[in-house]
Amino acid sequence: MNNATTRMWGGLAIAFFAIMAFLPVVTSDSIVAVLTLIMMFAFFGQAWNLMMGYVGQLSLGHGLYIGLGAYACAVSVGTFGLSPWLGILIGAAISAVVGAFVAWLGFRFAVKGIYFTLLTIAVAEMGRLSFENWSFVGGNAGYFLRVAQDTHPLLSLRGGTTFYYFCFLVLSILGFWGTALLIRSRLGYFWRAIREDEDAARAIGVRALRLKILAVMISAAMTSVGGSFYALLSGSLFPDTMMGMRFSIEIIIAPIIGGMGTLFGPIIGAFFVIPINEISNHAAQSMGIFGLNTLIYGVLILMVIVFLPDGIWPPVAKRIERWMKGGASS
Amino acid sequence: MNTRFSRRSLIKSAGAAAVMSALPMRFSWANNHPTKVGVILPTSGVLAFPGQASRRGVEFAGMINKERNGPAMELIYADTESKAENGRVAAEKLIREGCSVLIGCWDTGATISAAQACEAAKVPLVINIASAPQITEQGFTQIFRNFTPATQLVSNAVQRIRELAAKTDDPPKTATVLYVNDTFGQSALKAMQAEWAKQNLPIEILDTIGYDVRAKDLSVEVAKAKATGAELLLPITRVNDAIMIVREMVKQEYNPKAIIGPGSPGPYEKAFTDALGKYGDDYMVCVPWLNVKNPRAVELAKRFEAMDSKNRFELNVGFSYEAVDIVADALRRAKSNDAAAIHAALKTTDIKDHVMWGGPIQFNEKGQNPNIGVALLQNQNSEPTVVGPAEAAVAEVVYPMRPFNER
Repeated sequence: MNNATTRMWGGLAIAFFAIMAFLPVVTSDSIVAVLTLIMMFAFFGQAWNLMMGYVGQLSLGHGLYIGLGAYACAVSVGTFGLSPWLGILIGAAISAVVGAFVAWLGFRFAVKGIYFTLLTIAVAEMGRLSFENWSFVGGNAGYFLRVAQDTHPLLSLRGGTTFYYFCFLVLSILGFWGTALLIRSRLGYFWRAIREDEDAARAIGVRALRLKILAVMISAAMTSVGGSFYALLSGSLFPDTMMGMRFSIEIIIAPIIGGMGTLFGPIIGAFFVIPINEISNHAAQSMGIFGLNTLIYGVLILMVIVFLPDGIWPPVAKRIERWMKGGASS
Repeated sequence: MNTRFSRRSLIKSAGAAAVMSALPMRFSWANNHPTKVGVILPTSGVLAFPGQASRRGVEFAGMINKERNGPAMELIYADTESKAENGRVAAEKLIREGCSVLIGCWDTGATISAAQACEAAKVPLVINIASAPQITEQGFTQIFRNFTPATQLVSNAVQRIRELAAKTDDPPKTATVLYVNDTFGQSALKAMQAEWAKQNLPIEILDTIGYDVRAKDLSVEVAKAKATGAELLLPITRVNDAIMIVREMVKQEYNPKAIIGPGSPGPYEKAFTDALGKYGDDYMVCVPWLNVKNPRAVELAKRFEAMDSKNRFELNVGFSYEAVDIVADALRRAKSNDAAAIHAALKTTDIKDHVMWGGPIQFNEKGQNPNIGVALLQNQNSEPTVVGPAEAAVAEVVYPMRPFNER
């Protein structure tokens, strides 16, 4: 990618996020609530995409890091009366360490491909079961955050719909920007070399083990930060909800649909998946046909997978590039 | 006296008449303008079964309210898809659509999520079902829960078991617990064990046997329970596993003195009695239930079941019906579509004649109705029948239960 193309995409990203920042002014709280979910899943998608899209390591256990971030933040605030900012950092640190351990366990003993994926599921399920039986965090009965007696939203990180929208929007911007910096650095090139052919990468001196562990750590820490904000948004935490397989699966749909290994993919995917879900849900409610939403959602996802196997974003990006170049040459 | 109308006085009079005649029209419009009531339920996803049952209760209540010329209500539905995070989105959506009061959300996560949106918008939320005790302990000012917190439910269930044991000449001395090993089952087991110790029941629990939520066969677990020789089996189940347990007990000829579910779903559902027929009889469960001593409530239940022969007027239907009743009562007293006025009216709710068994529907300072009763039900002739406590019972308990092979 040359500098002109980079500048063009950078400009597009800035324009897109500027529009996103302006949206709450012209929309209602209910639209903002949906946009919050879009941004939340976009951010989770970015975190997962870093590991899968750029390093080629499939994790189906990222729910564990969502849960660790959520519980670390909630317990810091609810039990110890600490600042949620500190809770977020604690959660990210714990998740990074756990991620490093899982990655070391897998990669050190050459657990590859689908077996590594199974390892991530196993560790996530162990985490869930541990939390379900850990009375300090409420176990199965859940952990609940009291309604915030508001000091200042930026201190308490508790607020209304628009506040959380901006929280996740900022996270998405940081996720986008951070990922862009990483993949354009030497580290990013090493990661992609590992993704394409690990043995060849090792042969030319790439320290694959260390770099893969680092990728998992960054991805886990990012996911954990999102989990912390999700805990503050939802107000109640249950191991099954926060760490269960449902979340681990749900957060990977947006980047897969949007386009793995691309910067815009997770965001575009979230913009497709969440509204489709909302629209199909609304249709099902209007018609009074239970489960129709799931059917519509499933069919649409299936169509995207069949007709756009690389995701929505890559062909769109090609067209935009062609159009921009055509426009520039004319 | 000049009786001639000048043109000016005529115009004045006409103007005044127009204003005067328009005023009542405006008030009557306000009265006929239906209040939008949002209903948030999990009608798809893993909680679809109880969510859809709850919706049937809401729809039925809406129909009855219309028949009785109750306050005009437009019920608008939203589905959480059994996901906690969708509670807030659904609440925001319904509030945007002009709902000035919400009903929901069946599960705790979605309820708390929705309650936060209600808190911010100052729109009351009438909780039809959601059992976590913490819901009313978080400082929400807009919630009104007409359902038993889990701790109270289990406490009352253990009390019902104590009453049953005290009533018989041959009380059970030992018990075994069979529980579904998931979030719900483990929570219920822990609460039951704590309550068992607290109430110092003279029945020794010999074993607690867990089984996987996805289990397709419970022969080993039932065999283990049989091997303990316990006189009382306490299953913590959902409907499918409750059916599997009884089928396995019939097969293995396991006949304890009683089977009592301590506050878990299953045996009162139509799917259970339809699937098991006579073998589902004598099974007991402790849950909040229809007030079978209230002729109006019984009539309503009969009517519901006549309209919908596939379903029973069970607790999901009943509490969802009551939620609409509570809203209708508040609207009647508030005489306004304004959320603040409805909230104020809900705070002073006092409904003595209602469908579920218990004291009057009232809400304490935390928004909890403390007057909900827990009945001891026993399946008799394939119908859940109230056999305890004495003040609610309409039939005698069958104890000890009849051996399966003698039915």
